[in-house]
Amino acid sequence: MSVAQPVARRRFALPPHLAQTAYRLFAAALICVVLAASSEAFLTTGNLLNVLRQTALLFLLASGLTLVILTAGLDLSVGSNVALSACLAASVIKASGYASLGFLTGIGCGALIGLVNGILVTALRIPSFIATYGMLWVLSGITYSYMGGETIHGFPPAFRQFGSGYLFGVPTPIYVMAVFLLLGSWFAQRTVWGQQVYAIGANPVAARLSGVPVKRRLVLVYTFSGAMAGLASLIILARINSAQGDIGDDLTLPAIAAVLIGGTSLFGGVGTVGGTLIGALILTLVLNGMNLLQINAAWQPLVTGVIVVLAVWIDTVTRRTTE
Amino acid sequence: MKRIAASLTSLMALAASFGPAHADGETIAVFTKNQTNPYFQAVRVGAEASAKTLNAKVIQYVPTKPDSIPEQLSQVEDAIVKRPNAIVFIPVDYKALVPAVEKINAANIPVVNITDRIASGNLVAYVGADDYNIGLATARHLLNAIGHKGNVIILEGVKGTLTNTDRVRGFNDALKENPNVKLLAAQPANYQRLQALQVMENLIQSHPQIDGILAANDPMAVGALEALEGAGRKAAVIGINGSKEAVELIKSGKLLASGDFNGFIQGCLGTEIAVRHLRKEATPKEIILKPVVIEKSNYQAYETPVEQRQCPKLADMATQ
Repeated sequence: MSVAQPVARRRFALPPHLAQTAYRLFAAALICVVLAASSEAFLTTGNLLNVLRQTALLFLLASGLTLVILTAGLDLSVGSNVALSACLAASVIKASGYASLGFLTGIGCGALIGLVNGILVTALRIPSFIATYGMLWVLSGITYSYMGGETIHGFPPAFRQFGSGYLFGVPTPIYVMAVFLLLGSWFAQRTVWGQQVYAIGANPVAARLSGVPVKRRLVLVYTFSGAMAGLASLIILARINSAQGDIGDDLTLPAIAAVLIGGTSLFGGVGTVGGTLIGALILTLVLNGMNLLQINAAWQPLVTGVIVVLAVWIDTVTRRTTE
Repeated sequence: MKRIAASLTSLMALAASFGPAHADGETIAVFTKNQTNPYFQAVRVGAEASAKTLNAKVIQYVPTKPDSIPEQLSQVEDAIVKRPNAIVFIPVDYKALVPAVEKINAANIPVVNITDRIASGNLVAYVGADDYNIGLATARHLLNAIGHKGNVIILEGVKGTLTNTDRVRGFNDALKENPNVKLLAAQPANYQRLQALQVMENLIQSHPQIDGILAANDPMAVGALEALEGAGRKAAVIGINGSKEAVELIKSGKLLASGDFNGFIQGCLGTEIAVRHLRKEATPKEIILKPVVIEKSNYQAYETPVEQRQCPKLADMATQ
């Protein structure tokens, strides 16, 4: 512990990190300039709030994932976690009429799935990639058989406020995003536990030898990632006003992409929650721009792919030159 | 050795087909694409309903990973080993599953193809409703409702799938008949509700006046409705699938219409043709169901849950 902490701190205080964030902010700003120049609709309050609201959802999923990836792990089950959490929460809200019970169910279910992931990775020593990949299938199976091809829809207006409502003219999910940005950054950078997460990712053996309770921290991180998936599932429910078995499809890969574009290394130990916010923002801006500029449907995945590869490549190059 | 085995199996199949008259109790293997889309659930229920009235048995094969080509291929192999009397088949991909149909043909198991037409193979019959005509009919209904003028948006499904290509082609052909209607944008939302919501939120920003939205399936139509509601805007919206949720929204006046494929009827007819073929009765070679646009004047018939619906008479549908 006494050894690991200074190592992690020093790594984190190095200028390259600030430089990485600056590059990324610059990239996001550049995209904004290009979009503002090519579409009148882009630089309106309505559209910017709209982009941030969409960013919020992606960020919430990706923020929990960031901590997992910081430990050099991966959580491939976030999308199917969202699906099961959303479907269970939807049934509870429908049956009880209480939004609060739905919240408990959604976040509880998500956290429980994360806890199981954590146990699989630590106690059974299954590589996280495999454990959460298996979990992906298990959860889809449970969700599909539970839903049986049905759709649950129509939630109370009070619950829907959480996803589609406004507070002082700003969409609610943006506040949720702000809270978790501060909370996540504070945890990762300002707490001992957070620093231990970096230490585990940088070198698990060294971390263990210096007294970091590696297994407990890993379980914590996976549980947190699961809980965030549960929270995101509630925002999705509130936004689309319905739940069906395939609600989590196409969510995992964009979340991983946001983390990577945000500068967190898949090899662990490097990255920030704030970076992930910028990553989520860049991805959302690009999608928003493609819609506004009416880029042909066939080209859209290609553009997203190029941006992910480009972001990681720029990272490697700039890191090599600054270190 | 292999050839002997092959001729033995075909001999056995021959023996089976000339064996004691098939009074009843035939096993029909039904292949659908996934557990998630209510359409395929309706197909399965229709197959069960038809089999029940004909005293036959149904075994369902559904890939655990939705629309998985390798999984359906291996499920076909499993089914051939278990030798059902006949197969009712929806390929997850109309080209990639051709080898599977060839294997079924080689094993001498009669196969009825429904919904998505397989590119080649020996079929007892094909039963389907084509995506193009449903897209065309549903889009025409919307363009008529908005008075053949105004601005519309198309929400596309998964790029590269046959269903999406055909439905969108139908939409576009309906638009061509209406020179006073302007297509503002055609953007992908991959058949997903959340993506449709977000794409529409983006498009609402750049288009102050949207009169109609043509969505290639119901979940995207519902996502678009949510986006409109969130922005305090109104537009006529149509979807495709005739899902339960769409019917409820048509009833409450929020959704204009939904094009219907009637998975239930396709399941019924496919299974009935398979059984009647086994019983050496004459069966139609092809049934193309007429596109039905569910809207406020005819939605009542669709409120009955599929589990309680009756299969139509094969003779009535064949002459349609």
